[in-house]
Amino acid sequence: MSSVPPLVLLVEDDPSMRRFLRASLGAHAFRLVEAGTAREARTLAPSHNPELVLLDLGLPDGDGVELVRELRGWSRAPIIVLSARTDEADKVGALDAGADDYLTKPFSTNELLARIRVALRRAAERGAPAEQVILIDTLRIDLGRREVSRDGQPVHLTPIEFRILQLLARNLGRLLTHRQILAEVWGPGAGHEAHNVRVHMASLRRKIERDPARPQLLVTEAGVGYRLRDGGAAG
Amino acid sequence: VDDPPERARPSAYAWTALYVALTTAAAWSARTLVALPDLVALYLLVIMLVAVRYGRGPSALAAALSVIAYDWFFIEPLYTFAVHDQRNLLTFAIMFAVGLVISELVRRVRLHERAARAALLRARTEEIRSSLLTTVSHDLRTPLAAIAGAGSTLREHAAELDEAARRELCDTVCQEADRLERLVVNLLDMTRLSAGALPLRREWVPIDEVVGSAVGRVEGRLGARPLRVEVPGELPLVSLDPVLVEHALVNLLENALRHTPPGTEVALTASAAEGGVAIEVADRGPGVPEPSEPLFDKFVRGPGASAQGAGLGLAIARGVARAHGGEVVALNRADGGACFRMTLPLGGLPPRLAEPPQPGARP
Repeated sequence: MSSVPPLVLLVEDDPSMRRFLRASLGAHAFRLVEAGTAREARTLAPSHNPELVLLDLGLPDGDGVELVRELRGWSRAPIIVLSARTDEADKVGALDAGADDYLTKPFSTNELLARIRVALRRAAERGAPAEQVILIDTLRIDLGRREVSRDGQPVHLTPIEFRILQLLARNLGRLLTHRQILAEVWGPGAGHEAHNVRVHMASLRRKIERDPARPQLLVTEAGVGYRLRDGGAAG
Repeated sequence: VDDPPERARPSAYAWTALYVALTTAAAWSARTLVALPDLVALYLLVIMLVAVRYGRGPSALAAALSVIAYDWFFIEPLYTFAVHDQRNLLTFAIMFAVGLVISELVRRVRLHERAARAALLRARTEEIRSSLLTTVSHDLRTPLAAIAGAGSTLREHAAELDEAARRELCDTVCQEADRLERLVVNLLDMTRLSAGALPLRREWVPIDEVVGSAVGRVEGRLGARPLRVEVPGELPLVSLDPVLVEHALVNLLENALRHTPPGTEVALTASAAEGGVAIEVADRGPGVPEPSEPLFDKFVRGPGASAQGAGLGLAIARGVARAHGGEVVALNRADGGACFRMTLPLGGLPPRLAEPPQPGARP
């Protein structure tokens, strides 16, 4: 991490949550700007230009998803959405609008820090030449040669399985929604038929997971999407 | 006898007329053997039966018809409404009045009976509700008390505590908060399920995916506990709500972990079943009591259960399965332990799969 602590914009209306996050992030060398409403966030974000945004979806004065869309209009700073559990549709909405990740309340400081690190690292790598070889545990993905191996043994993927794995690998640790995967792999004209993704994901899991019934790499977030777990950020 | 409806049906009046006619016919054929006062008693009996059976309107009709038939067939001069003996008029009046009084009495008895039954039902509902409240408030308060206690000790007495004690209090706060969270999640699920307003977000999902995500949720709590997961790859897609079915499976797994001795194996297996799939969570614990049905009631804890659960997990698992047209049942394994078997129907014709255009065309 750089010598200047990263600046985080926290958009959260609940004072207790703010206090907890202030203490946890402060203790781990983050600078913090706080907004209690969507309005405040709209004022503070352009003037502070944060490196990362933590956004509570249940704001008193507006739609958090709309705020994600606005921020994405001018900023590439990673956005991590904080949300209560009962609204998978909201999470998907926020991710499709450009949020990078979400955390379900309640969450632990460790989970939060892990997600923040993944998001900041991904943001830092943007623009740099993409890694051609990605190694997770004993899974080796060579994006240039389009080769995958597990424990040194080559794994034979169908073209579509490779494209899904490639997409997830390029977004290592990041949660991708079914719609995002459909749009990237099947093309922008693809419908919303998530079962296409699910079926190929299941066969991909059978090929690269040690125990496909207990996946350690291709993690499913029920009702939301998938992430390829980064070895270090394992929750 | 069923309660007569508030307003008698037209057929009730027809039957009433028939009964009076039959009584009259019987009395007519036996007229030489029966004295007039006995006839009056006979008509009153019919009026009473009609009152009990059909209620007030028909019994008034019975009273009126009885007076008319009695006058026409049995009072001199016969076959006219003329009355020679004025005393008979009094008999008619009394017959009619008694008929009405009987029907009114019957009605009142019915009302009282209904009110008593309603009161009993209310009392029973109230009793269940208050016992639910007691359970819920106990289950919510226990972790809250532990959190508040640990928190205030840390605030007031931090200086007097050694590092280990501080650590322990912090662990308590985290663990109890987890417990509270699980309870709140279950209460919310239960409320949504009982309200019947739970919209299913059905999608075609491979069973290994929903099993995998459910197992992933409990993985952190397994410790040294062996968990065996077997899902054959060739199971069909099932139309289900992945979030809810995951909750149901997590509940079945947590239930098995909570009610069986540490170190004993828990196994989750999926298989094809009649018209769908079956997912079984089997353990090596003490098994389930017979009959096992009460285990699925809300706020019921199995025998020997610790105070950890609120007794909602199985009710939710079953509620979710039933919302999908499936079921959860509890069985005892032949070689020891319990097995909770969830069945889910396919839920329709599986969809066709769309291949992406021109593989490899995009970078």
